[in-house]
Amino acid sequence: MSDGSTELGELTITRIFDARPEVVFECMTTPAHLTHFWGPIGMSTPLDGITVEPRPGGRFETVMVNDESGEEYPTMGVFVEFDPPHTFSFTEPGVAGGMTTRITFNDLGDGRTETVTHQSNVPPMFLSPEAQAGMETSFVKFDAYLASL
Amino acid sequence: MATDSLSLTFTALADPTRRAVLARLAKGEATVNELARPFAISLQAVSRHLKVLEAAGLISKGRDAQYRPCHFEPAPLEAATDWIERNRQIWTERFDQLDVHLKRIATKTDRERET
Repeated sequence: MSDGSTELGELTITRIFDARPEVVFECMTTPAHLTHFWGPIGMSTPLDGITVEPRPGGRFETVMVNDESGEEYPTMGVFVEFDPPHTFSFTEPGVAGGMTTRITFNDLGDGRTETVTHQSNVPPMFLSPEAQAGMETSFVKFDAYLASL
Repeated sequence: MATDSLSLTFTALADPTRRAVLARLAKGEATVNELARPFAISLQAVSRHLKVLEAAGLISKGRDAQYRPCHFEPAPLEAATDWIERNRQIWTERFDQLDVHLKRIATKTDRERET
């Protein structure tokens, strides 16, 4: 079951999983789980290439490997929010001017979880004032991290 | 993949005025004056927005120095849309596999409970 909608510069995907939010959240943020599903079809994500530092400012990195060619696609993300089992978001500064991905986990109350995945390439300075206020602390940490590189 | 031109495209599209200008130009060419009319902003502000759009290759301007109508150039928008579409595909496949993984875990947990 999937529902994808595309707007200018943004992407939202809503999915329902047959597991509790705690389980889905853990799967999406634990290397031993991620290695089983992170790579799309035709790609693998070896365990030794996955780094998860579960906190704002922590690294979220994977290396996807093309099963046929062996070509590697590293992704270098930094967590902006990390709030289990409700939400996490990460930015990839190197992708299309800075992409932010935010995943929200909604408890449907019957053992199922709805996840809303929102990807945006809109740079932080264009975010609404409300969004900026809410994420200010995280971005301060993120800026500090970038400055330390 | 030309990440740089994608960045320019996404930055250009991040602003509501620029999106409105593009929507107007998608219907046909227009001069700066014509474009400025519906907006409560100065000609200079519109010109600045047009520069951003032009840098991203989303619009081009006519050669006539007196009358330089702006044209909508769809190619960068198509590249951006393709890129988003590819991402949508990746996430969909990823979640399909997560679904399988969750079922596998659930089965394993059930088995462990039985034994």
